[in-house]
Amino acid sequence: MTISTAPEPVAADAPPAPRRRRAHRPGQAREWWLGAALVLPALVLVVLFKLVPLVRGVLTSFEASSGFGGSEFAGADNYTRMLDDPMVRTSFRNALLVVATLPVWIVIPLVLALLIHQRSPGWKFFRAVYFVPYTIAPIVVGIMFRQILAPDGPLNALLRGVGLQPLAIEWLNGRYSALFSLVAVALWSFFGLGVMTYLAGLATIPEETLEAAYLDGAGFWRRLFSVVVPMLRPTVAYWSVLCASGVLIWLFPLIYALTQGGPGDATMLPEYLVFLTTFQFLDRGYGSAIGIALFVFVAVLSIFSVRHMFTEGTRKPR
Amino acid sequence: MFRRSLAGALAAGMAAAALLTGCGGGGDDATDGPVTLKVLTWEPGGTEYWKQVKTSFEAGHPNIKLEMQSVPFDKYPEVQGPYITSQSGPDVMANNAGLELFDRRGAYVPLGDKAAEITKDLVTYSGACEGFDTSKTCYGVPFSYQGNVLYYNKAVLTAAGLDPEKPPATWDEFGAACDAVKKAGKTCLALGLSGTFPAYWDFPEIARNYLTEDDIRALLAGKLSWKDPKLVAVLEKLAEITTKGWANKNAPSITMLPDGADIFQRGDAAFAGTIISDAVNWEAFGKALGDDKLGVTRWPAIDPAAPLAQKFSGIEGAVYGVTQWSQKKQAGLEFITWLAGKENGELWVKYGKGQPLNKNVDKALLPSSPAFLKIQELVAQPTLHAGVMLSGPEADALARGWQQVTLGQLTVDKWAEQMQQALERSPTKKQTK
Amino acid sequence: MNARHSARIGRYLLTFALVVVAVAAIYPLLFTVVSSVKTQAGFADDPLGLPAGITLDNYLEAFRRMNMPRLLLNSLITTVGGLVLSVLAALLVAYAVTKLRFRGGKIVFLLIIVSLTIPSQAIIYPLYQTVLDLGMSGEYQGLILAYAAFGLPLGTYQLAGYFQQVPDELIEAARVDGAGHLTILFRLLAPIATPALAALAIFNFVWMWNDLLLPLVIMGGSDSKTLMVGVSLLSGQYDVSVPLVSAGLIVALLPVLIIYLVFQRQLVSGALAGSGK
Repeated sequence: MTISTAPEPVAADAPPAPRRRRAHRPGQAREWWLGAALVLPALVLVVLFKLVPLVRGVLTSFEASSGFGGSEFAGADNYTRMLDDPMVRTSFRNALLVVATLPVWIVIPLVLALLIHQRSPGWKFFRAVYFVPYTIAPIVVGIMFRQILAPDGPLNALLRGVGLQPLAIEWLNGRYSALFSLVAVALWSFFGLGVMTYLAGLATIPEETLEAAYLDGAGFWRRLFSVVVPMLRPTVAYWSVLCASGVLIWLFPLIYALTQGGPGDATMLPEYLVFLTTFQFLDRGYGSAIGIALFVFVAVLSIFSVRHMFTEGTRKPR
Repeated sequence: MFRRSLAGALAAGMAAAALLTGCGGGGDDATDGPVTLKVLTWEPGGTEYWKQVKTSFEAGHPNIKLEMQSVPFDKYPEVQGPYITSQSGPDVMANNAGLELFDRRGAYVPLGDKAAEITKDLVTYSGACEGFDTSKTCYGVPFSYQGNVLYYNKAVLTAAGLDPEKPPATWDEFGAACDAVKKAGKTCLALGLSGTFPAYWDFPEIARNYLTEDDIRALLAGKLSWKDPKLVAVLEKLAEITTKGWANKNAPSITMLPDGADIFQRGDAAFAGTIISDAVNWEAFGKALGDDKLGVTRWPAIDPAAPLAQKFSGIEGAVYGVTQWSQKKQAGLEFITWLAGKENGELWVKYGKGQPLNKNVDKALLPSSPAFLKIQELVAQPTLHAGVMLSGPEADALARGWQQVTLGQLTVDKWAEQMQQALERSPTKKQTK
Repeated sequence: MNARHSARIGRYLLTFALVVVAVAAIYPLLFTVVSSVKTQAGFADDPLGLPAGITLDNYLEAFRRMNMPRLLLNSLITTVGGLVLSVLAALLVAYAVTKLRFRGGKIVFLLIIVSLTIPSQAIIYPLYQTVLDLGMSGEYQGLILAYAAFGLPLGTYQLAGYFQQVPDELIEAARVDGAGHLTILFRLLAPIATPALAALAIFNFVWMWNDLLLPLVIMGGSDSKTLMVGVSLLSGQYDVSVPLVSAGLIVALLPVLIIYLVFQRQLVSGALAGSGK
């Protein structure tokens, strides 16, 4: 590489950069045009594949339709109907429960990444192996876990074998155990991606700093939260954003392959309900309304992460 | 309406781009040479069968080429739905007979008076017509016959001290047989309650004991309430199957395919209620258990004197129709006419391993498996299939309710109430009222 | 017990924990491989156990049923296309927003990252309709553009974060040396962001390669369908053969593993270079 003096990527350590304004008007105009040209491809993509569909979704949500035939304006009917539909309520309650597991999604891969990063014997092997579940398509994951989690399946056999009889529950049959089993399967699918992300972040922290943190006698957890996490902040933030925006979407193919929202409505999530309502119940208008409600739900939950992303991307290091 | 104008504006804006990139599709009816017919299918009967369809049809029709657009069955609605709303896409499409087809009838060209001619050699084709009435509008042609029987494993019955040649014929006998099978350490009925299988496979078999054909038509029209004692009784009996412990414990959280069927295939269950055509039928089970170990019977009768109790809930398989928007309707019609014919009927038997609808299929081609022969006997007395009368919301509520009743989270009365709500939510049935 | 001794025990325990997680992680791959060499009846017999005998019939059948070279090509074109386009578009935006005096840049940036909160399932139906209206149904460019759009927000966020930490003097210096904008972006900034680019490449490649919904509707059942769609076609309406699907998946998995191994090295070595050592 021609440029080998790349800067320390940790913002806090960067030397303060005095901002100079070159008040050169023609240059500025040229830069504006250049900037506009550079953002154009991305803008086109976002508008065509996200905004236009969203707007069309909003429009459809005000229509009553049936059997893929014609549709008519229905005012806010679909929205008022949602208010007293128990399935809709359950799906959003379940979504909240899933979102509540996010801290686990953030911490577990972090701990594993740290353990690996301490150069345990065979760490390269672990690093490679942990990533494997992420590459396995959900269709297989679903079939496999229906077998593993069966009441008389291998997981329960193992639990009974080691004397943990009371833990050998009917994983996929319970009111709450089904939902959390599903989350666990999803977490298992994705933790390797998290470990990989954290390892990439850890690689940017100078060895000596970590070494010192590991050796200074503080307990593992204290070291973790007082030394490592602050230095890993950008990576933790990135992974958190990824999880927060992805967790519900990641669960979708698993619900499809594993429980189809059941038993009853125990694992029903808004994503799946949109799909069911639109394609199985042929109620496009209502499906769109639930989809818009889902969008609002995700948007409200994401206010903080979007704000964070925005400041990360636009703040000048001072 | 404004949605459409937006679509128009978008399309107009993009037309230039489409022209430039050369990605604009269009009808090529006017061009010389063979016409290419796009066929949307989920390949019922398997890839091998559809390869044969393409080869044989093209050999007999040099002026038409088939372009198969194969989509996995469980993803079919996502692909087909947008085609229908945008009134664009393939020239010929498939849908299952019954309500699924009626829900999408706006996509198909009605056959009109041609229906009788095209379907003259079919045993039945009413599932392709409005209200299962061949005197009303028909939208396409079927070529296969489908329905549910009770397969049983003779070895398991013998081990439980039961007579493998005399399977239980009534509900009480079935209960007694299940007790014996359970005592012998096996599952009685292999069952999976996830998805729409309960509606299409189990519900009609129970419903036959309580409903008449008029009731079934009323069910289709959304005029039979789920709080009607007859339907509540059906739900009660469905519930019994699991609450009496006749089925495998994980039934609420598994699907019938492949999980439920696998329990039976590996010899862990005495009975499995599955279909007669396509996979998981006599052929697959015969291979797994041995043709001599596989028995076939009608689902046990709850009320043997009920008018439909000794009948077969039969339904035509996939129906193929020509789309409204096709530029090649004539070629499409030729293709579906061929599908209903003898040549395809024989391919269906040979490669699709199913029950054909065409009467002229060479009997020598039919398999000699004892289970298959028994099925021939059972299907000879057909009646309407109550399962395919259920709308999407009803089929879904049936499965979820059954899961919850099994787990003790719901009473049958509450289940019936939820079924009624599902009926009222169903856009199609609301419309027909 | 001295500290050294207990440290060693701690290390053993730690390794043991890592091994347990590794076993749980590798199990699905083993399950898939083992399933793929079972017969259909053998799988039904004992879904989780070892096979009685090994058969390669499922692989032969998978190859016979699918036009494997074409499907592989389709998947490669669309996945690589989507991947490159989304990363490229993200690089350009990140540069424009962080390193140019570009009024309105912040709004554009906000718009792009806010689009992350539009879940694909919420707009799935109108999205398909839009693709149809664009005349891109069944066309490579339709899927490539859709992939790019869905991969864009995270990439933009991550790259902007990286670029933001590069001091402006460095850019000024390069500019004084006569470097143009593209040189600065691709020869100065992109190398610094290597770990981010590698992580993005892995993440995007895997989801685009494994995705089912977008290719299904955009490609329909046409000859341009992707390998994953082909694999899921191996199970029919009533014929769900886990061994056959497993065989197809193992074949489909190989490119993913190769990409992972290639970019994993970039991920770590690039990061080390970036930290200035």
